[in-house]
Amino acid sequence: MKVYLSGHLKQFAGGETEVSLPGSFTSVGEALGGLWSLHPALRDRVLDEQGKIRTHVNVFLGDKSVKQANGLETAIDTDELHIFNAVSGG
Amino acid sequence: MPNETILLVGTAKGLFILRGGGGKWSIEGPHFPGLAVYSAFLDQRKGRNEMWAAPASWHFGAELCKSTDMGKTWDQPEKRRIKMPATTKKPLENIWQITAGGDSDSLYVGVAPAALFESHDRGETWSLNKGLWKHPHRKQWQPGFGGLCLHTIVTDPKNPKDIKIAISTGGVYQSADGGETWKVTNTGVSAYFMPNKYPEFGQCVHKIARHPSKKKLFFLQNHHGVYRSRDGAITWEEIESGLPSNFGFGLTVSEAGSAFIVPLQKDAERFTCEGKLRVYRTRDEGKSWQPLTKGLPQKNAYEVVLRDAVTSTGNNIFFGTKNGKLFASHNDGDSWKMIEGSLPEICCVKAYTL
Repeated sequence: MKVYLSGHLKQFAGGETEVSLPGSFTSVGEALGGLWSLHPALRDRVLDEQGKIRTHVNVFLGDKSVKQANGLETAIDTDELHIFNAVSGG
Repeated sequence: MPNETILLVGTAKGLFILRGGGGKWSIEGPHFPGLAVYSAFLDQRKGRNEMWAAPASWHFGAELCKSTDMGKTWDQPEKRRIKMPATTKKPLENIWQITAGGDSDSLYVGVAPAALFESHDRGETWSLNKGLWKHPHRKQWQPGFGGLCLHTIVTDPKNPKDIKIAISTGGVYQSADGGETWKVTNTGVSAYFMPNKYPEFGQCVHKIARHPSKKKLFFLQNHHGVYRSRDGAITWEEIESGLPSNFGFGLTVSEAGSAFIVPLQKDAERFTCEGKLRVYRTRDEGKSWQPLTKGLPQKNAYEVVLRDAVTSTGNNIFFGTKNGKLFASHNDGDSWKMIEGSLPEICCVKAYTL
């Protein structure tokens, strides 16, 4: 599984915007767990305290928005995960 | 050689640190570029000079960061310091206030959604204040324009168990037992936007501040209303005679005991009255107010000064505007000088004498 990060997040991933996750995963939540184990600081930035993807963060599995699918339970059917900051702000 | 003053200026696009003395200022920043900083604090107790700031990202949330080298570098811990416990079922929305506790090692942080966090080990560990979180009024507090924010914390070095807070909207609450229990103290404060104009709670209090030497004397800037309390922020009386408007956000009290506010036209308009940037000062505990204009623009000046953007250290008064102008007075408000004119929207100004 390859995870592509927004440039805003690279400071929390050792300066990288692409992270390869070893192993296989059945859900997006499980894959993100693999990401947190490599880069723990990403967790609090991507998820809120209640374990939900932050309002203004989008996670895509391939080209599918996880929020519009089954959230963190979305089944893995491709090997690309993208984490973006949503187009919002002022 | 005058003492050096340090200003922590939190803006919608980062934190700026200014150092000055004798009228000349240097500026560093922005730290946390692009992130909104609504609260900052320099902990000078025991000579430790630890700086705190709370940058908030639209995307990735708010966090509490610390600098041990006077702002040159900042930490961003892997696990954030201020996190709403899972049992609250609420995410942290923003950090509005960072304040010293009454003793030498405690710190308090006020956040949205209307919660108080406390640390009793210089900020090493933090916990949610459960007494306030479980307050029976909580379910009736309503968020204002800035969210349901706990934006003001007033502590007393002579009595660390005395903690007073203000919530928009909820009003003034205070604890006499170090935060175990909280009582509501809004008597006399108006909530014009409610059917009952003087409810027990639900007021949109914007800021309260204590007189430096008269410990029971407080001032309050309300969402329409300016008040004084002589009994330790328990009951309040109007002190609006001579003001062009009773609407505003920020409030500070200088070492000399002068209180300063920046009135804005009514709620629906929210800019300086008549396009004149005037600070109002009272030196007689609210019996009268004087407009202070020397050095401030008096034509086409449509400014807004937010609730934590007026501050003082000694008799040096500072304020910042949403248009990014930063002003200073070194004579208890008699005259003013603009320090910076094009900063991002200023959210908070904190001043310290080194």
